[in-house]
Amino acid sequence: MDETESVLIQRCQAGEKEAFEPIVRKYAGRATGAAAVLLGCPQEAQDASQEAFVRAWRHIQRFRPDAPFYPWYSAILRNICRSRLRRRSRRPTVSLPDGYALPSNDSDPVFLAEQNERRRCLFQAILALQPMFREILLMKHFQEMSYKEMAEALDIPIGTVMSRLHNARLALREALAKDES
Amino acid sequence: MSCDAFNRMASAYLDGELTAEDRRRFEAHLETCDACRRELADLKRLTEDLDMIRFKEPGDEELARYWSGVYNRLERGLGWILFSVGAILTLCYGAFKVIEELIRDDTVSNLLKVGVCALIAGLVVLFVSLLRERLVVCKVDRYSKEIER
Ligand SMILES: [Zn+2]
Repeated sequence: MDETESVLIQRCQAGEKEAFEPIVRKYAGRATGAAAVLLGCPQEAQDASQEAFVRAWRHIQRFRPDAPFYPWYSAILRNICRSRLRRRSRRPTVSLPDGYALPSNDSDPVFLAEQNERRRCLFQAILALQPMFREILLMKHFQEMSYKEMAEALDIPIGTVMSRLHNARLALREALAKDES
Repeated sequence: MSCDAFNRMASAYLDGELTAEDRRRFEAHLETCDACRRELADLKRLTEDLDMIRFKEPGDEELARYWSGVYNRLERGLGWILFSVGAILTLCYGAFKVIEELIRDDTVSNLLKVGVCALIAGLVVLFVSLLRERLVVCKVDRYSKEIER
């Protein structure tokens, strides 16, 4: 963890909004991408990730400045996305049928570095998975968390992490195979 | 152990998350089983593809827009707090004044005085109970735990 970030956080804790800007800028890209994966919906991603920054700011006093910011932020983001998904499922009329019906790729905000057709397919297939699988794939492949870290963050046993991640990959592979055929 | 059971360990094997003992057993099985080797190779390709995906860093202009979106919401939050505090203080003061005048005014019947006092007391009780409910909901919200971390 770099020193400048902890200094910035301390200034945030003193109420200096300007100190929050470099932090937000640094993580905006991956935060929005993560929200897209968690929500399965690129359109709402920016709004959710901004809301998470606002909530992080409101709770900044509880944050230990010597800890890395992003894992803390991403726990907040996960919560926000979860409650948005819950709200969405409570309003069946507006919700997308689970796991499918993403609008055309062209209008979607672009999230990926080094785009190519294959990666885009892969990303679209991830977005169409069920929420639990999207979440664990995000943690493993985009946030490089270990099984132990995931188990702690999700409050589930390591054995469950293992099987959930494996099932997520199998589901993804199946979806990709279906796309190709 | 069946191939199926071994297959279920494949992800953890690729991620380097198997215990030494399981790892040894898994590798011993791979030596003897073509199907599991193929399955592992297939899953490995997928895992490597997944590891290649990176989120894009937004451009400067995009970042500026993004930040101003966050900043505006921070300001708005403060606005709401000030507004609520102000509204509560104003209402309390107003209610206090109304009661004061009413009690002093001899032309108003006692029944009306009691009625208005009860009305205001009732409003206060309702407001406090609503407030308490909101605070309790906040506390038991299972997500507040993760905010703390
Ligand atoms: Zn086998």
